[in-house]
Amino acid sequence: MAQEESTRSSVFADVEEVSSSDEINKWARTARLWRETLKEHWSLLTDELSVRLSMLMVAFFVLVAIFAPFLAPNPPLERQYQTEDQILIEKWAEPSIVGGDSGYLLGTTAEGFDIFSQLIFGTRAALLVGIIAAVFTAGIGTMVGLVAGYYGGTVDDALMRLVDFLYGMPLLPTVIILVALLGPSLWNIILAVIILQWRATARVIRSQALSLRERPFVKAAQVAGASDWHIISRHLAPNVLPMSFLYGSFAIAWAILTEAGVSFIGLGDPNTVSWGTMLQASRAYSALSFGAWWWFVPPGICIGLLVISGFLIGRGYEEITNPKLQ
Amino acid sequence: MSLLEVEDLEVYYETEEGPAQAVDGVSFTLEEGENLGIVGESGCGKTTLAKSIIGILPDAGYVNNGEIRFQGDDLTQMTDRQRRRLKWEEISMIAQSAMNSLDPVYTIREQIVEAIETHRPGTGRVESTEIVTEMFELVGLDPDRADDYPHQFSGGMRQRAMIAMSLALEPSLILADEPTTALDVIMQDQILKRISQIQDEIRSSMLVITHDVSVVAETCDRVLVMYAGKVAEEGPVEEIFNKPYHPYTIGLKRAFPNIRQPDQDLLSIEGYPPELIDPPTGCRFAERCPMATDRCREEEPEAHQMNELRTYCHYAEDIDTELRPYADSAETWSETEAAQKAQQAGGD
Amino acid sequence: MGKASFVIRRSLQLVATFWAVGTVLFFLFRLMPGNPTSFVISPQMTPEARQRIIESYGLDEPMHVQYVKFLENVLTLDFGQSFHSNAPVQEVIMTYLPNTLVLMLTAFVIAYFFGITLGVLSGWYRGSRFERSTVITALLARSVPSFWVGLMVLWVFGATFNVIPMAGMTSPGVEHTSFIGMITSIDFVTHLAAPALVLAYYFMGYPLLIMRSSMLEVLSEDFIDVCRAKGLSERTIMFKHAARNALLPIVTAAAIALGYAVGGSVLIETVFAWPGIGREMVRAVLRRDFPVAQGTFMVLAATIILLNFVADLAYGYLDPRVTYD
Repeated sequence: MAQEESTRSSVFADVEEVSSSDEINKWARTARLWRETLKEHWSLLTDELSVRLSMLMVAFFVLVAIFAPFLAPNPPLERQYQTEDQILIEKWAEPSIVGGDSGYLLGTTAEGFDIFSQLIFGTRAALLVGIIAAVFTAGIGTMVGLVAGYYGGTVDDALMRLVDFLYGMPLLPTVIILVALLGPSLWNIILAVIILQWRATARVIRSQALSLRERPFVKAAQVAGASDWHIISRHLAPNVLPMSFLYGSFAIAWAILTEAGVSFIGLGDPNTVSWGTMLQASRAYSALSFGAWWWFVPPGICIGLLVISGFLIGRGYEEITNPKLQ
Repeated sequence: MSLLEVEDLEVYYETEEGPAQAVDGVSFTLEEGENLGIVGESGCGKTTLAKSIIGILPDAGYVNNGEIRFQGDDLTQMTDRQRRRLKWEEISMIAQSAMNSLDPVYTIREQIVEAIETHRPGTGRVESTEIVTEMFELVGLDPDRADDYPHQFSGGMRQRAMIAMSLALEPSLILADEPTTALDVIMQDQILKRISQIQDEIRSSMLVITHDVSVVAETCDRVLVMYAGKVAEEGPVEEIFNKPYHPYTIGLKRAFPNIRQPDQDLLSIEGYPPELIDPPTGCRFAERCPMATDRCREEEPEAHQMNELRTYCHYAEDIDTELRPYADSAETWSETEAAQKAQQAGGD
Repeated sequence: MGKASFVIRRSLQLVATFWAVGTVLFFLFRLMPGNPTSFVISPQMTPEARQRIIESYGLDEPMHVQYVKFLENVLTLDFGQSFHSNAPVQEVIMTYLPNTLVLMLTAFVIAYFFGITLGVLSGWYRGSRFERSTVITALLARSVPSFWVGLMVLWVFGATFNVIPMAGMTSPGVEHTSFIGMITSIDFVTHLAAPALVLAYYFMGYPLLIMRSSMLEVLSEDFIDVCRAKGLSERTIMFKHAARNALLPIVTAAAIALGYAVGGSVLIETVFAWPGIGREMVRAVLRRDFPVAQGTFMVLAATIILLNFVADLAYGYLDPRVTYD
């Protein structure tokens, strides 16, 4: 979170010249305000048991993703052989955790890949998709929402018609078409998700900005001759921040689910292992009929755990920002 | 036998930090045809008291001890079913907020008829239409508008509709929780006049809960002043306003403008009521009272009968003899413990 | 602003959105790298057929002429011919759309019936163990991918215990003369059960959570206290007053959600090999059958746009307080 904050203030610093020490003091104050708000929300948030557990879960997956090469016994897309001379492929091996004598923790696939290693590397894809998509979704959505809400009039109309249009697009089919046209890669999936998903954040932030701009402190800043950019970044943005975070955490969940779905259909990145591509492969090789549950059960559980953690953190945050729900 | 006798009532709320003693040892009686006002700041337990009498405490609230005898029967010992039979038929209420006390998706008529049919099954359509018409006329609303939805009414009309509904079954006791707070002054006056007029007609008793002393002066025969869940003082309305003995009542009276002495400075009672979870020992008003002594902070005051008033203050008699001018001066009130605290906080 | 002008303005918006979706699709398929004609013309066609298609789409003409032609075709619901089967796309849509609608509506009705009921109960019994477990169930339903739940159901009940069919809508060899005859047959219902229930479980989370928080909001209103003071029974208060008020936000949400449900039919139809429009779209995309992909996508988008429109209008009829401004 601190990371987030410092990148934001540096974005501001680029636009406005920080020349006098007065200006710097103002910066320090703003930064402190933001830090305190975040700290307060953080402590409220971690009060809830389910949120604490979810955060531990996310932290666990993050660690797994970072240390994937050390944790995974084999490269995820390297065929495993029964013998040194690489003739007999070790396929459909039963997992050793249930007594299989293969030596592979979660067994191997029909192609002879080590499932446990794939699962670990799959964490990377999931988090990459989730986090990048969430940052951009929340970022673009917040900017558009603030601009539309603050300026109103034609700007608002134009931007909201764009949002309405995006709301007319079915999420998964659109992502599928975009990925099919752009080519199946993880980056294109992320891009397609971002193109569609910022709509929700924009709509909510806009309605917040609409009411914020009528508040006395904004009126006062306008009378005092503050620039629009100044008002948006210093007065509006900090106030809509909780909502941006909320939608960001939901966006992580949606992005991961969408990636899994698109990959499952067969438009996943062929060069990367994700939980979705694992499920797709298991289906392509009829793992169901072979009863090779160790192939398709673990990825689903991982997706579920990571996604529900995102939802629970988001919900916990929603409850503290909206006391009516308590 | 009195209509309503409340004896040593304790109503607590379950909270994470322990029970909050919202109503703590309150006793009073209400005779038939009499109006009793319950006055106090918000959070003093007056609404909780009303809710426990009518039987709509929220899930976390419960009667810890004491009795609420209505026509001789203890309400706290009744089953839900027995209790439900009494609701509205015998004890009805005029809710706090004119805006939200009616269900927005049903017409006023539907809501009144619902009350009638719940308690008098088999009431025909003709008969219930008659009742609705009669009640609308009684409160000064056009009966043709009974089929309107609440949002089509103005605030004042909604409150009248609420009153019409509360009267529909001609209950013997009406609990009016801030009946006019949400209305403007002129509307307040009209509604209050109408309420007293109707009461004369149907001879019901009323419990008026309010923080507005003028409402009490206009509608009630007797007043019960509550502070932090306890009774501070109780007695006939003239005496409470003319010659109170409890410092809190004195302060409260002086916090509202007085027509007879318009030049008098208004005073403010500094500070806040104490926490009701684990409240302080002794008199609960001590921290904000200009006359508080160590005794007040240690020993809980007993009731003192002062003329017709029942006053819970150790120094009720001294106020009668020598302290009254002191308690009546605005300066005195700026020297309380709480006032000094507030000053310090403000000075920082 | 009056109701009539609201409806008119909203209808114009509807038309504009349709136009925008069509336009974006048109340019998307043509501005992609590579030979633009490859998206509309199958490489396996004879030169004559190819020429005919090129002319009918006006592919040899400038972009703006093509665009007008495209709009004309869309207006007459002519999406071209499938590369794969050479059947008109319109016919492909008419074959698969009803199957999707049957599956989606069945799942939706089940999901909303149970979702709303559980939402009302969990809002009413707030703080209870029942509430906590329903909320967790609802969150799980939305977190675990529906297609994976489908896989698990197929594995357990299909592959292991052999109580449900593994794929499709009817058993091989079973022929039906009419659509109604088919969907009322026992064979169809046994095929429908698993995908419909998996979908219903997935859909259920949304109404449940909305209903619960809506209930919590309504229950804190003063009129609920008045209802209790009136001596109404708990059941009457819960359903007639609290739930009736809490229902308002869910109706709009339901129409919109149904739109997205049809749009999201892709995955579950793929898992259960249900011959619906979503699965057809996926197959068309994978075999680069662009006319079919484009046509089916337009249908999915149209469902969403139409139901959003319906939701906006329906709200006015359900809440007496709504004003159009």
